[in-house]
Amino acid sequence: MEQQSYQKNTRKTALALSLIPGLGQMYHRQFLKGGFFLIMTAAFILVFRDLIGYGLWGITTLGTDISYGDHSIFLMVYGILAIIVSIFGIGFYLFNLRDAYKNGEKRDRGEKLSTIREQYKNLVDNGFPYLIMSPGFLLLVFVVIFPIIFVILLAFTNYDLYHSPPAKLVDWVGIQNFVDIFKIDIWRETFITVLAWTLVWTFGATTLQVALGVFLAILVNQKDLKGKAIIRTVFILPWAIPAFVSILVFAGMFNESFGTINRDILGFFGIEGLPWMTEPMYTRIALIGIQAWLGFPFIFAMTTGVLQSIPDELYEAATVDGASAFQKFKNITLPLVLFATAPIIITQYTFNFNNFNVIYLFNGGGPALTGQNAGGTDILISWIYSLTMTSAQYSKAAAITLLLSIIVITVAIWQFKRTKSFQEEDMM
Amino acid sequence: MKKALSLLMVIMLVLGALAACGPNREEGSGNDSGEKKADDANKPEKLVVWEDEKKSGWLDEVGAKFEEETGIKVEVKEVEMATKMKEQLRLDGPAGTGPDVLTLPHDQIGELALAGHIAALEVEGDVEERFTESSMTAESYDGKLYGLPKSSETPVFVYNKELMEEAPKTMDEVYTFSKDFTKDGNYGFLALWDNFYFAHAPIGGFGGYVFAENDGALDAKDLGLNNEGAVEGTEYIQKWYSEGLFPKGIVGENGGSAMDGLFNEGKVASVMNGPWSFQGYKDAGIDIGISAMPKLPNGEPMKTFMGVKGWHVSGYSENKEWAQKFIEFITQDEYAKLRFEQTQEVPTNQGLIDDPAIADNPGAKAVAEQSQYAVPMPNIPEMGEVWGPMADSLQTVVTGKQEPKAALDAAVKQIQQNIEANHSN
Repeated sequence: MEQQSYQKNTRKTALALSLIPGLGQMYHRQFLKGGFFLIMTAAFILVFRDLIGYGLWGITTLGTDISYGDHSIFLMVYGILAIIVSIFGIGFYLFNLRDAYKNGEKRDRGEKLSTIREQYKNLVDNGFPYLIMSPGFLLLVFVVIFPIIFVILLAFTNYDLYHSPPAKLVDWVGIQNFVDIFKIDIWRETFITVLAWTLVWTFGATTLQVALGVFLAILVNQKDLKGKAIIRTVFILPWAIPAFVSILVFAGMFNESFGTINRDILGFFGIEGLPWMTEPMYTRIALIGIQAWLGFPFIFAMTTGVLQSIPDELYEAATVDGASAFQKFKNITLPLVLFATAPIIITQYTFNFNNFNVIYLFNGGGPALTGQNAGGTDILISWIYSLTMTSAQYSKAAAITLLLSIIVITVAIWQFKRTKSFQEEDMM
Repeated sequence: MKKALSLLMVIMLVLGALAACGPNREEGSGNDSGEKKADDANKPEKLVVWEDEKKSGWLDEVGAKFEEETGIKVEVKEVEMATKMKEQLRLDGPAGTGPDVLTLPHDQIGELALAGHIAALEVEGDVEERFTESSMTAESYDGKLYGLPKSSETPVFVYNKELMEEAPKTMDEVYTFSKDFTKDGNYGFLALWDNFYFAHAPIGGFGGYVFAENDGALDAKDLGLNNEGAVEGTEYIQKWYSEGLFPKGIVGENGGSAMDGLFNEGKVASVMNGPWSFQGYKDAGIDIGISAMPKLPNGEPMKTFMGVKGWHVSGYSENKEWAQKFIEFITQDEYAKLRFEQTQEVPTNQGLIDDPAIADNPGAKAVAEQSQYAVPMPNIPEMGEVWGPMADSLQTVVTGKQEPKAALDAAVKQIQQNIEANHSN
């Protein structure tokens, strides 16, 4: 507390009175505001008392007796709702305390309190952004934050086929799921192999598609190249066809006995039927190739745009200094392109880390590997899918989702922080 | 600091006061909600029934009869049975918009019963004796009955009468015929033996089994998929592929449509397929004959997988007793026969086995005959772990990548691991 010359001790009295919202305000003779606070509080308690009570009971116990129709998962949902509503309530309560204290301070310093009119003006002037934001914010809380909390909580339960409502109650088991994932052999081995492949896949596929996109863009951007427009159109095509369709077509093309890859293309070079769909190694190579094909046009288009904006003077100056073409590329083109596209490239990495479509549609995460309960090309997200859809391992899947999210979030934050393009300084 | 502490205390107090507001209950005096006696006082306005897609026509008639007798309306909705039914039940049941009565393939009832999505039934002896024993076994899980069977199906031998005069009695005959007939894109006999559903027939016939049966319950720890019989059966399967009698084109996910296409073009003399395929073949203008599967070289019949479809009461239904009454009503012989006439799905009512409507129908007759040797697909949840690894292993065998013994050992190891990971509670 800073030392100020207070004449009275109103602020503390008001604070104490405001433990019941509104009384402190009334003590400041702000009857309208005080009354409003009091009524709001009473209304809040009346309306939400049951929900909050039932919800908090539900989320702590997850139900106690099947015969009463306790449905653990519903109780958890009520609990989350109750907590969100409580947080809003507590926020309001704190605001009321702060308001009483601040106004008390003002009185103690001998200042005049704002009139109703002034307060209203204040609220409209300073609170306008909040006012406009609040509907969206509320929606966000219930549409985005709510399910996230639900998944996080699920990771600490034993919700699976053998503990699923309505026949059984679900229980809190603390970090048992995480312990299992790292302790039970099959889970650990699966998790480690899947994570390893996920990382290889992310870096392999994304780097390849970025490199290909940038390389082709620079190639097509050469000054003396004829027919730029048509070449660019052709290179954009893979992006224009819905990935869903392309992947399924690829799955057909890679079919071991009827696929055109084995029958016509490789057959032409005298290579005998490669096991694209039954050997993990080959499926992985095929997948990385397919993703590069699907993803490079986007990078290509973006880089093409960036290249247009690099001033010619830079190259002219470099020529005067006697730089080779490669030096120009290394010292001018590449840094500028990467600088401009860094944020997009990061999102490409995170997108591929969770690129469910291509994995699922190409070979359903197969082929099978012994010694683990995920397929040879399952990435974390598709493994989670099969855990929930076929094995009903809901809580394990939630736990793995949590681990996966932690990875993605950390990488994303770290990269966003490191790239210069997010800092407000100009490179040029 | 002090301020923060006191604030925390206040919040704790408020929350504590509220958290104590759980529902008031005396321990252990639960009231079983939804357990209403089926008397007139508790008569619901209507029962909601979910029947398989394109199969509900007969229910209008029978539902009307039920309403006449009881005054309860019957509301029928069609839901695709194989995959959508259970998903819809999981979502709609708790929300209170689910059915009272639904239909399911019996191999799904284990997991649904475990989670309480479907209710156990207690029926009188005379209802129990209405159906064949094997179909009642299929509808039971963990010693309790969970549904009443409406129909059963099992793969049979379908042949093209123009290319094959009569159905052979043994697979040896089929083999000799096929050796002779298979050339220039024509095939003597085809079966999807890279798919465990069909492959179980020879594997089981030679002595393999999925789960051992102990005192009427399946033991998921005792797998018989890599015993001597299973290996022998798989070697028999391998023979057909390695000698070129089955083309590579009928392997894999799209093998079924490839096989049907060949048969419909009249290039295949005989196939192994289920009753669901008959109509398609007839529509293609093939004059088909149908019989039970020929006997294996060891003299044993093929142990095909039997799938039973049944009527179940939703675990969320408010009127379980009335729902059960409804099921008992619609599975009576006369209505089961009506259903057969409209859907061609063979009922499992004892009283209909010798009924001319069924006995004179070649398809139904063959299915009924083959059913004597068929084993119901295991309905315990652990079965879910069997399909994938078995399909993978069979595929490596028929494409010549692996020998049967090694492939089956790998599959069993995988199945055991998955059961351990997903079903050890």
